Amino acid sequence: MAEPLLKVRDLSLTYWRRTGLFGRGSQAIQALNDVSFELNAGETLGIVGESGCGKSTLARCLLRLLRPSNGSIQFDGVDLLALNADDMRQMRQRMQIVLQNPFASLNPRLKGFDLIAEPLRTHAAMTRETMKDRVAALLTEVGLSLDFMNRHPHQLSGGQAQRIALARALALNPAFVILDEPTSALDVSVQAQIINLLIRLQRQRRLTYLFITHDLSVIQHISDRIAVMYLGKIVEETSSEEVFAHPQHPYTQALLSSTPAPDPKSDRQRIILAGTVPSALNPPPGCSFHPRCPQVMDRCRTLRPELRWTSADHRVSCHLFDALE
Amino acid sequence: MTLLKVENLHVQFTTPFGIVRALRGIDFELDKGDIMGLVGETGCGKSVTGRSIMRLLDENAEVTEGRIIFNKTDLLRLSEREMHAIRGDRIAMIFQDPATALNPLFTIGGQINDVLRAHSPAPAAQRRKATLELLASVGLPDPAQMMDVYPHQLSGGQQQRAMIALSLAAEPEVIIADEPTTALDVTIQAQILDLLRTLQRERAISVILITHDLGIVAETCQKVAVLYAGRVVEQGAVAAIFAGPQHPYSRGLLAALPRPGSRGTDLKVIPGNVPSGLERIDGCAFAPRCEFVMERCHRLQPPLFSLAAEHQAACLLHEDRVHG
Ligand SMILES: Nc1ncnc2c1ncn2[C@@H]1O[C@H](COP(=O)(O)OP(=O)(O)O)[C@@H](O)[C@H]1O
Ligand code: SF4
Ligand SMILES: [Mg+2]
Repeated sequence: MAEPLLKVRDLSLTYWRRTGLFGRGSQAIQALNDVSFELNAGETLGIVGESGCGKSTLARCLLRLLRPSNGSIQFDGVDLLALNADDMRQMRQRMQIVLQNPFASLNPRLKGFDLIAEPLRTHAAMTRETMKDRVAALLTEVGLSLDFMNRHPHQLSGGQAQRIALARALALNPAFVILDEPTSALDVSVQAQIINLLIRLQRQRRLTYLFITHDLSVIQHISDRIAVMYLGKIVEETSSEEVFAHPQHPYTQALLSSTPAPDPKSDRQRIILAGTVPSALNPPPGCSFHPRCPQVMDRCRTLRPELRWTSADHRVSCHLFDALE
Repeated sequence: MTLLKVENLHVQFTTPFGIVRALRGIDFELDKGDIMGLVGETGCGKSVTGRSIMRLLDENAEVTEGRIIFNKTDLLRLSEREMHAIRGDRIAMIFQDPATALNPLFTIGGQINDVLRAHSPAPAAQRRKATLELLASVGLPDPAQMMDVYPHQLSGGQQQRAMIALSLAAEPEVIIADEPTTALDVTIQAQILDLLRTLQRERAISVILITHDLGIVAETCQKVAVLYAGRVVEQGAVAAIFAGPQHPYSRGLLAALPRPGSRGTDLKVIPGNVPSGLERIDGCAFAPRCEFVMERCHRLQPPLFSLAAEHQAACLLHEDRVHG
C-alpha cells in the first residue's frame, strides 16, 4: 500500500485570550487537542462536528495559516512545519481550500477571468493566450459557459460562485483540496449539483479531499472515511459505511439520531442530548463529552479516554470500550 | 378542523428593479393541533407567507389579492388596532435569529412578565409563578436564575427557548416558527424540535413550521405544503407526500437529497435556476426545469388537483383528476 498523502500526528493548538483589566491574565482555549489521522491519495476524509469543535482551525493548521502548538504534518513525505516560507509558498500550490461562502472569498471587483487567472499569474509564467485557454478549460470543467469570464461575483448565483471558487482552486492543479462547508449555504437542488461536480472532479483529477461539514447526510455521501470531532478532539474515526452502521461513540450516536431524516416512516429512536455544546475555554475534565453523555460512568468524569483502535478499521475515544484492551 | 385558511394570497413588492411578485396565489389550511410545514428553497415565499399572516410585511409590500381566514374573520380586513389584539396574543411568531426578537435591554423574566401583564390582570406573585412555569416548560435550566438574565447571557439554543417561552406567554392558538433551528447545531436543533412537538401535544397549539429542510418536515410535521416561486405546488399529509411525491418539483427535491447508501451514485439534480420574482410567469413556473413538461404547461397555470383525501398537486399531469 502506498504511503498516505497526508499524515497528521498529535496536532494541538491553543489560542490564548487575554483577560483581566489590563489584559494581564490570559486564558487558554484548546482548539485542537492531539489530532492524528492519515489520508490516502485520491480519498476523501470527512470531518464532522458542531460549531466550535475545531474543524476550521484544523483546516487552517494544515495549510499553515495557523501554527500548531504541537504535533507534525507530513504532506507527500514532506514535514510541512519544517518548511521555510518560500518552500511553503511552493507547497501551497498543491494544497487548496474552498470555503462555505464563495462571495467572501471572491474579490467583488474582479471578473470571472481574472478570478480564475489570478493564481496562474502569481505562480506560473504563461502567455495571455495560454492563460485564456487554461481559464476556458477550467470553466468548462466546473460546468460554466465561457461567458462567465466576463461576470462579476454579484452577477452570480450561490452555486455559480461556488463553481468559480472551485475553478480558481483547481487552477494550479493541486493534489489536495480542503472543502470547508462548501455546500452549507446552498439550496438542496444546487447542493446536489455541487456535490456531483466535486465527486466527478475528484475522479478525473485523482484529488484528495478533506471535507468539513456539520451535515452528516452530505458527508456520508462523499467521504471514504469520517472523523467525528468534539471540543478539539477526534472522538471517532472509521469508514463512512461503518459510522452509519455501527457508530460507537455516544456523541456520534446522538449526532446521527439528531440529523433529521427525510423519511417520516422511520421510527428510529431519538437520542436527544441535554445541555449545550461546552466551550473550549473550559473543557470539562475527564471525557469532555461526559456532561452530556447518556451513558456516562464514574471514570468518565475524571479520566480522559484515549483514542484507540477497536478494530482494524475503527478508532474511538470512549471508556465504554476500555474492556477491549 | 380548519383553524387558519390562506386563500389565493398574492403579495408583491415595489423595488427599484420593478415589481417583485413574491406570492402568486398561495393556498393552504392549518388544522387545529397540527404542525404544518411550509417547505421550499430560498426565495420561494415562505417568510413572506408567515409575515402576511402576522400582517408584518415590509412597507414596500402590497397584498393584491386573497384572504387569510382565522376563526371566521379575514385578517386582511382587520384594522391595525384589531390586528394588534390578535398578533402575539392569538397568533405568535418566532424567528431564526432569536437575538433580534428578544429585547436586549430587559431580562428574560421581565419580558415574559410584561406579556403576562398585558394579557391578564393576575397579581404580581401569580405572574412570577407563571413566568417560572413557562421557563421550565421550554426546558431552560434553573428557571429562577433565568428570570434575571439578559438575552446576551444565553447560548443560541437557550435564546430560542426563551423566545418560545415569550411567545407562549399569551397562550396563542397558532405559532408561526420561521426557520427556528437554522442557526443552531444539530443536537440543539433536535432539542428545539422536540420542544415544539411537546407543546403541540400538551397544549394543543397549532404550528406553522417554515423550513428549507425536508428532514425536519418528515420528523416534525403532520402536513406539509411545498412552495415554488410563490405558489403551493403540492400539499397534504407528510406520510403520503414523502412516500409518493406527485409534483415533479417535490419529487426532484426529495431525489436530490444525499441519504445513507447513496454514496457512489450521482445525486439527482434539478437543472436550471428558480425564476426571479421580477419575471413574468405564464403557465407553470416549474416548466423551464421540468422533465415532464408538455406544450400546454407554458400556457396554463396548474391549479391544485386533488389526488387523494389529503393530497393535492398543482401539475397538469394530474389534469384529468377531479379539480381540487
Ligand atoms: N422587502 C422586500 N422587498 C423586495 N422583495 C422582497 C422583500 N421581502 C421579500 N422579497 C422577495 O419575496 C420573495 C419571497 O421571499 P421570502 O418569503 O423571504 O422567501 P423564503 O422565506 O422562502 O426564502 C423573494 O423573491 C424575495 O426576494
Ligand atoms: S405542469 Fe407541466 S411543467 Fe409544470 S410540473 Fe407539471 S408537467 Fe411539469
Ligand atoms: Mg425565509
